[in-house]
Amino acid sequence: MITFPFRRRAATADGNAQGLVSPADWRRPRVRFGLGSTQTLLLVGLIVIGLGPILWLAKSAITPTQDTITHPLALFPHGVAWSNLSRAWNDVEVGHYFWNTVVIAIGSWLSQIIVATSAGFALSVLRPKYAKYITALLLTTLLVPAIVLLVPLYVEIVHPPLVRHSFIDSYWAIWLPAGASAFNVVLISRFFDNLPREIFEAARIDGCGPFRLFTSIVLPMSRPILGVVSVFALLASWKDFLWPLLVLTDPNKQPLSVRLPTIESQTELGVFLAAMFISCLVPIVGFLIFQRSFLRGSGLGGAIKG
Amino acid sequence: MAAIRFEGVSKVYSDGTRAVDSLELTIGEGEFMVFVGPSGCGKTTALRMVAGLEEVSEGAILIGGRMVNDISPKHRDVAMVFQNYALYPHMTVAENLAFGLKLRKLSRAEIDQRVRAAAAALDLEDHLERKPRALSGGQRQRVALGRAIVREPAAFLMDEPLSNLDAALRVKTRAEILKLQKRLATTTIYVTHDQVEAMTMGDRIAVMKKGVLQQIGTPEELYTHPANVFVATFIGSPSMSVVPGPMIGVGGEGQLAGFRPEHIRLGASAAGSVGFEALIEVVEYLGDERLVHLRLGEQALVAKLPVSAAVQAGTRESFAVALESIVLFDSASGQATAWGAA
Repeated sequence: MITFPFRRRAATADGNAQGLVSPADWRRPRVRFGLGSTQTLLLVGLIVIGLGPILWLAKSAITPTQDTITHPLALFPHGVAWSNLSRAWNDVEVGHYFWNTVVIAIGSWLSQIIVATSAGFALSVLRPKYAKYITALLLTTLLVPAIVLLVPLYVEIVHPPLVRHSFIDSYWAIWLPAGASAFNVVLISRFFDNLPREIFEAARIDGCGPFRLFTSIVLPMSRPILGVVSVFALLASWKDFLWPLLVLTDPNKQPLSVRLPTIESQTELGVFLAAMFISCLVPIVGFLIFQRSFLRGSGLGGAIKG
Repeated sequence: MAAIRFEGVSKVYSDGTRAVDSLELTIGEGEFMVFVGPSGCGKTTALRMVAGLEEVSEGAILIGGRMVNDISPKHRDVAMVFQNYALYPHMTVAENLAFGLKLRKLSRAEIDQRVRAAAAALDLEDHLERKPRALSGGQRQRVALGRAIVREPAAFLMDEPLSNLDAALRVKTRAEILKLQKRLATTTIYVTHDQVEAMTMGDRIAVMKKGVLQQIGTPEELYTHPANVFVATFIGSPSMSVVPGPMIGVGGEGQLAGFRPEHIRLGASAAGSVGFEALIEVVEYLGDERLVHLRLGEQALVAKLPVSAAVQAGTRESFAVALESIVLFDSASGQATAWGAA
């Protein structure tokens, strides 16, 4: 988190937060100037590096193409071309690919959540005798680089076991492998491990079977970790390029991440930048809306004596 | 309401540890039974076997005449109160109370009525819409109790429900639990390591040690007729003094004599009593009495004397104990051989 220099000083003067630098130190001109300017530089630098490209993209999305080409680094556009956005949405069919991306992302998210929570529940709440062996196997798969699995996974998608039908050009080709994430399972089962077992026991005595225990007790208590996994899952699937490119050959089914590079050469620069801006917007807005609930601490207050 | 029977129940863990060893015990309908013992004595394991949270390795547990060894917790019709409350953190107090009833598919009106009644009985009416994290420790424990009573189960199982409360609240809640249990007349097993709780609450007490039942009886029986040295010293505070018999002139070789602090009198022995001389080490003034710590040879004893007794730390005094209040134990087995050495 970035802390504004003057805010830190105000808080310290109240005695609320004691930083590394004491109020007495802050009163010395050298410290005040040195630290203050370092913090300001750091802040400005972070804004330029982190926010700069996004702001530039936002500006260029509504700038006439000519203007972007002649003055690419101008702070303000000469004239506004809102038509870039509407042309990107309608003519380049960004709306269509946008929808594809949403379908792919939601499907991948759902498959990851279902697999990770049910596996985590089985391994760390139901705890069959062989759970530790399965956990060990899961952990070993984390050591295999994803790129190594690309070819075997592709072969499996072309000739899936049990199903006599290739998944190429079907969204299942993305949704199913997305679910097989050992990382999510490990993350969620570690979280489940730390939930108080007395609550599960109380629920069993109250009359919960395993399924009810899962849906009524374990899942509602796991909102923080579900938020984390959801953010990872949605972001990863939104920006994934290589795998959708391999398994979705039909342009009508491809997501934005695959379509945008292909349409670049045939599209006017201003319209293309508008299309890119639209594709960035969803993850950014989504994160801004949900960051609070996702990053909030676990909701276990008062459940057990602690 | 149902009787609970342990028939030769044992719990053996995979490493061979016998947490509970051949427990033979019947808890009558509506009885308040306390399992007491030091930590690791198997009392909680025994309780959890009744709840169905631990498997029974040997023997049988019967609730209301029905063997429940292989019946899942939810079908045993028991309710449990946990030491650390175990409330559902994402539900309000009302939802916590209603959860077990919803799972049993009771009508909405019936659930509502029972939740209201329980909340009224436990003084929780103003907190029904709050989440557990907004409650104090005492309120949380009352919600945990409420969750048990709304179910109207055949038996209450309570696992040290008071040990997370502070001393004053513990005494208050202790009385509330007792009143509640008497009013509902529900068979209750109450586990505690605190012998004062056991003495004040139990209709009967089962004292356990290392998985083995030492003695079962009313608080008075345990206090006046302890079956062995362990029960004698575990029950009562300060605990019973046990010294080699010959040291105070009672019993023979291989016998131990036990007597409670309140049975020690200041002064020389008279007829029907034995006397000894001991060094007064510390005198504790409690307002209504004095606790006097004595040293008799290698043995440390405690005497409960009236405030009027003139005792001074560092002096030697004569003390006497009535023969009828001395319990004799066999020093090899620790078993009591006579209650009253007269």
